[in-house]
Amino acid sequence: MAQLIPFTYRPGNSLLHRLDVRLKFFTICLISMSLLSAHLPACGGYALVLVFFFKTAGLNVWETLNSMKYFMLLLFFVFMARVLTVPGDILFVFHDISISEQGIMEGGLVAFKFFLVMVTGLIFSTTTKPSSVKSAVQWFLKPVPFVPEKRVAVMISLSLGFMPVILKQAREISNAQKARCADLQKNPIKRILRLVFPLLKKTFLSADSLVLAMESRCYTDDRTDPEFTPSGNERCFFAGTVVLCLSLVCF
Amino acid sequence: MNTTSQHLKMTVYTALFVAFIAIGAFIAIPIGPVPIVLQNMFVLLAGIILGPVWGLACVAIYLLIGLAGMPVFSGGTSGIGRLFGPTGGYLLGYLPAVFVTGSISKGLGKKMSSDILAMLLGTLIVYGAGVPWLKVVTAMSFGKAITMGMVPFLPGDILKIIAAAVIARRLRPVIKL
Repeated sequence: MAQLIPFTYRPGNSLLHRLDVRLKFFTICLISMSLLSAHLPACGGYALVLVFFFKTAGLNVWETLNSMKYFMLLLFFVFMARVLTVPGDILFVFHDISISEQGIMEGGLVAFKFFLVMVTGLIFSTTTKPSSVKSAVQWFLKPVPFVPEKRVAVMISLSLGFMPVILKQAREISNAQKARCADLQKNPIKRILRLVFPLLKKTFLSADSLVLAMESRCYTDDRTDPEFTPSGNERCFFAGTVVLCLSLVCF
Repeated sequence: MNTTSQHLKMTVYTALFVAFIAIGAFIAIPIGPVPIVLQNMFVLLAGIILGPVWGLACVAIYLLIGLAGMPVFSGGTSGIGRLFGPTGGYLLGYLPAVFVTGSISKGLGKKMSSDILAMLLGTLIVYGAGVPWLKVVTAMSFGKAITMGMVPFLPGDILKIIAAAVIARRLRPVIKL
């Protein structure tokens, strides 16, 4: 899974690794909302804060940027769409396409904001254990009426466990098909069917065994609530986040 | 099968479909110059196999774990930024799409033709949410948003709908829901 997805959890002992996951989640939401109304100087300042946290979390900036290349393509598309559509003082005209100063500024700022929000999320996912994410989701869902938060937490755990198994089986089936020259098949529907149906059948049959195993162990929704271990830095971190968000909104 | 057993089975199957939707962005079938990515096919399959309520729960959990920071969105990304981004409308559109797909398929008797109709409507709902969102975020005209955010994907979607209908017909006797 980690080979395929670059932004999986990386163990460490930095401030971000040790923080209470509930605060981290709340912080990300707050910062993401504040960034939407931020101007360029504030975004630049926040980028420096992110570089600092990258270093303290032991992450490599260039490696992460390289892993984000497809998302960067999407951002370039957002930038170009703004550049070509926002009216203003014309900088230059190429055939019928006019490019304005305001378009470049607005496009650059919007793309930069999306980039910052995305990198904030990446720092969160690389410094937070999947089991902690599951616990936080369960905790946040607890006050929501009509949502069985413990069952949702079980489903999250199960789905995180299923993902590497499905990927491994997909790779095995794909290799088996290639060995039988199935990749020469031109009919696209047959190609989809030959990969997906065996994959679904295999995983659903193994899921049936899991259901039996859970039943035989008297599984119920009445499970012990997760425990959270705050690091002691939460208050300072929260105060810093509030100051940061106010700066983002005001400047 | 008693109610507890049935609930447990649906819980596990829903988790399985969450995993399929998450990794669907990474399972690509190379057909022509652009590979077909199977994520939206698994969303529609969740609706017609699990039904409207469990299908909706499945997509909601997928979005929730992505929103909570697990790298399950396409490109291994996650977080609230992805929902605010240009493709956020497609992701949010999965919620009504899976519910409508599941409801129509169930209401019309889970036949192959009704599955195809349900998935066609589900796909239109995804684009109905995704294209206006793309238009707002990128500030392009509606025509351009349709040309860039819908038209190139329609042939692949039609292939996926036909394949999904065949898969659902073969899978139902195996999983006996």
